[in-house]
Amino acid sequence: MRLWLIFMACGTVTFATRASFITLGDRLPLPDSVERALRYVAPAAFAAISVPLILGGDGVSNFSADLPRIIAACAAALAVFRLKNIPSSLLTGMVVLWLLEWAGL
Amino acid sequence: MEDFSFDRRGFVDGIRAVFPLIVPGIPFGLVLGLTITANNIDPLAGWSSSWLIFAGSAQLVAFNLIDDGASATVIIVSVLLINSRHAMYSAALRPKFIAMPSKFRLLGPYFLLDQCFAVADTAPELENSKPPYRMWHFLGTGVLTWSIWLTSVAIGIMVGDVIREEWSLTFTVPLMFTGLLALSVKDRPGVLAAVVAGAVAVLGRELPQGSGLLLAIVLGVLAAGIAENQLEGSKS
Repeated sequence: MRLWLIFMACGTVTFATRASFITLGDRLPLPDSVERALRYVAPAAFAAISVPLILGGDGVSNFSADLPRIIAACAAALAVFRLKNIPSSLLTGMVVLWLLEWAGL
Repeated sequence: MEDFSFDRRGFVDGIRAVFPLIVPGIPFGLVLGLTITANNIDPLAGWSSSWLIFAGSAQLVAFNLIDDGASATVIIVSVLLINSRHAMYSAALRPKFIAMPSKFRLLGPYFLLDQCFAVADTAPELENSKPPYRMWHFLGTGVLTWSIWLTSVAIGIMVGDVIREEWSLTFTVPLMFTGLLALSVKDRPGVLAAVVAGAVAVLGRELPQGSGLLLAIVLGVLAAGIAENQLEGSKS
């Protein structure tokens, strides 16, 4: 039962963050400068999520262990810059990662 | 008054737009299901967190905190911090959603996870589209990701070790976000937002659960906002 209550509370706070501005609409105005800066939420969020995952959990000391993932992610980014779609990033990144691991890097 | 009754074209276009983004959710969902079993969490409650919380990374953190014997407060605050970025998604999408019925604005944000935000924020077909089309487009992205997520976690719980770790399939998660990043950077302030947020996220990894992520996004957006103002200023 405790577990269910915890998950329900977690669900409620998650829903509250998602609903916040969309639900309140005009009732929660923000300064113009903030509204304009919000266009950069997407690049900031996607970088903040992806970079720590690519670098693994081991910090700078383990750079060589991270190297295949770094190379694969760069290849994926290049593929998207050229082809402008997500499947290209998944395919390119995974193939490069598999090749590097197969080559024993 | 616009007619917000079912817009089939919007719904189908939404499903199509989010389709590639659900792929990484499958191995992630399977691993999450496996974590539920491995951490001895009641399977039904664990699976139900997928529709109660509906946020993969927050669920994973919650399961690991439960396994560590953390208090309820720590678990809830951690989930709140990790998911606080969704408030920024909500703020960013507000102008696009403001013309929609209040019932949708109350319940629709349930589906606002990373993938659905990415589509709602950047899909080219949404430029200059009508609110009903936009609303059903968003619901299409939500319903598909929701169904796939709940199914993957269920399979992960029931079947267990279905994906081989040496295939590194969960690496599709950061690859997807790398792809979304590449698609969302459109100008120089955008590059700055990404560099600042990425660097702060790595440096802030040791901060309490989730707060590094939040700080990273806030500082990234702030840096880009300031840079944009400077660029505007130098032009005029």
